[in-house]
Amino acid sequence: METQPKTFTDRDALINHVRALSPSLSPDDVSVSDTRGGRQAGQNLLGKIDPIAYGHSRNYLGGAVSYLSPYIRHGIISLNEVRNFALEAAPEDEPIRPIEKFVQELAWRDFWQRVYQQNPDWIWQDVETYKTGFAPDDYSDTLPDDIETARTDCAAINHFITSLKTTGYLHNHARMYLAAYIVHWRRVKWQAGAHFFLAHLLDGDPASNNLSFQWVASTFSNKPYFFNLENLQKFAHPQAPCAEADNLALAGSYDQLAARLFPYGVSS
Amino acid sequence: MSALIWLHEEALRASHPLFAASATPAKSVFIWDDAYMTAMGYGLKRRVFLYETLLELPVDIYAGDTLETLQTLATASQASQVFAGATPNPRLNAILDALPDTLKVTRVADEAFVDLPEPENLRRFFKYWNKAKKLAFQPNGRR
Repeated sequence: METQPKTFTDRDALINHVRALSPSLSPDDVSVSDTRGGRQAGQNLLGKIDPIAYGHSRNYLGGAVSYLSPYIRHGIISLNEVRNFALEAAPEDEPIRPIEKFVQELAWRDFWQRVYQQNPDWIWQDVETYKTGFAPDDYSDTLPDDIETARTDCAAINHFITSLKTTGYLHNHARMYLAAYIVHWRRVKWQAGAHFFLAHLLDGDPASNNLSFQWVASTFSNKPYFFNLENLQKFAHPQAPCAEADNLALAGSYDQLAARLFPYGVSS
Repeated sequence: MSALIWLHEEALRASHPLFAASATPAKSVFIWDDAYMTAMGYGLKRRVFLYETLLELPVDIYAGDTLETLQTLATASQASQVFAGATPNPRLNAILDALPDTLKVTRVADEAFVDLPEPENLRRFFKYWNKAKKLAFQPNGRR
């Protein structure tokens, strides 16, 4: 059998070869991320992690996140390696608390993988009922075209969609915002959103992605996750366009939004 | 008799324990399976990332249906064993399960994050975390 090449004149040549090996790809699928594959690229990022700053800033879109997730997803860098590296960053007199959030985030990945191992059927099925006052049939099966094309009436949401499609990456908080918008504002089944994310995220993993979507939707959590414009402005400015006039659907108190998004009440 | 190391998309690291698992010489292969990647929903961005990763690995890349290609390669190299990274992914496990009985299949676990027995009925993160955190801040996740 013929082996495939492992040297290319440049990245464009590699991309052309990948396309030739992928006849099922849509001709419209043309985006390639600036993020490079390979262990060397992952190790470069590993050398730059700042677990202590991560603990202070991780919820902010400009926070000190590691960008290691695509490398962890494909086993290029192991969770164990990252954790051991983080331990080195902790002060000797306080070895846990300053890096706790960083290590806990690694543990989420381990948790999702263990859940996947125990219950592979949960990946595409509702684990529990929605607690949103709606039945599964109340949600659309397909992603609306304006979401697919980043032409919703919310500028911040469009920014997240465009970033997802062009870079293959979204900050975790942006994923939660976009997932909540898809499921709760637009009442689309979480499965449609999960498919959309998996098609674009370099780190998209059936367990982490889909079970997180179910956590947002409330089919794998005690209540639906949603947010308001004030929260978005706190954590996503200035990385995303957060002006109220450009994001009217997200504005309001949590009580006002809950009444609008879940008019039949949230169950537990 | 020799062995095959099937490097699938979840174990793309030369230091994965998979590479030390075979007592006999083993040929390492990655199968570029367009249908599998489509079933997983992978677009061009992910595929380029994966191919770039393969360039640095001690592995030969073949294109085709994974199961058929693995069987062909095993026959050609007179392999009696196949080693693969352990995974929860049902699609990858189905391929391993479908290999003929003449090939001994060994699933090799990656190094653990925490050396913790599988908790029963995993459902909420903090029930897992309450057990895992005792080990999560130890080197290699062990006491």
